[in-house]
Amino acid sequence: MFKDLDPILHSQLRLAVMSLLISVQEAEFTFLKEKTNATAGNLSVQIQKLKDAGYIDVIKQFKDNYPQTICRISKKGIEAFEKYVTNLKTYLGQ
Amino acid sequence: MSQENQLTEKESLELITRMINKAKDACHDTGITAIMWGLVIVICSLVRFAELQFEFRLPFDIYMLTYVAVIPQIYFSIREKKRRKVRTYDDRFQDGLWLAFGISIALLIFIVGRLYREWDPVNDQFETLTGTAGFKLYEYIAAFFLMLYAIPTFVTGMTMKFKPMFWGGLLCWICCIASLFLPVKTDMLLIALSAAGAWLIPGIIMERDYQRAKKHLANTDV
Repeated sequence: MFKDLDPILHSQLRLAVMSLLISVQEAEFTFLKEKTNATAGNLSVQIQKLKDAGYIDVIKQFKDNYPQTICRISKKGIEAFEKYVTNLKTYLGQ
Repeated sequence: MSQENQLTEKESLELITRMINKAKDACHDTGITAIMWGLVIVICSLVRFAELQFEFRLPFDIYMLTYVAVIPQIYFSIREKKRRKVRTYDDRFQDGLWLAFGISIALLIFIVGRLYREWDPVNDQFETLTGTAGFKLYEYIAAFFLMLYAIPTFVTGMTMKFKPMFWGGLLCWICCIASLFLPVKTDMLLIALSAAGAWLIPGIIMERDYQRAKKHLANTDV
């Protein structure tokens, strides 16, 4: 039986962000922007949604007098991502 | 990239794979530090070998170059930290491993200096009294350094799945054993060989991969 895919993750930009974060310990906002080629505004909105879902932690700090945003996947985010991939594989019959 | 695009299951899986590869490609280390330390140790060892072989002495200890090399090392580390937009799980491990190695090498230099000071007068007395050759402590020093060189190099090679360093670490251990049976002069060549095999050559390969990855990333888009 097919399970519903997590709507939070089943969107292009949010899934791209989660896929990047699953591979690293933490990443700067600029890194995510560079890799996804998204606009800063759109990326901010999607990061906020992931944060609200508890999938990522967002740390805002200053580096060399400039604001810096660091994103890190949470334990809940890892579990959700793993479940999403498992469900995807079920759909694809892998 | 717009978040509004609805993905098919196949597209989702492709996107995940592409992004994971992108993150992986972005995590290439530069080989600058390895090249620098490899070169420094090769130069120091070869100069020391020449001093022993051709019986001359520079007005300063060539190994002082290793202290000077700490300055560019600090510069490279700060520059790297500033440039780094992403931190992987391996980064912290690698930082800790090489820092521990640096501390251990500094301690070994201190211990060896101390040993010489304590041992030399005793050895001289022994030789004077018995007329026989005493224990030649300096014959064994290279082995300790080579043994230490191997540890972080081998571990880095294993954990990062970077074969040149894996083989470089093994080469250091082989040279460590060989140094026990060869004269001090040859030990210097073994140290040079180990530094070239463990750091200089892997550093060049790492830097080449880094430059390639940088160029590749600059040419790709999501």
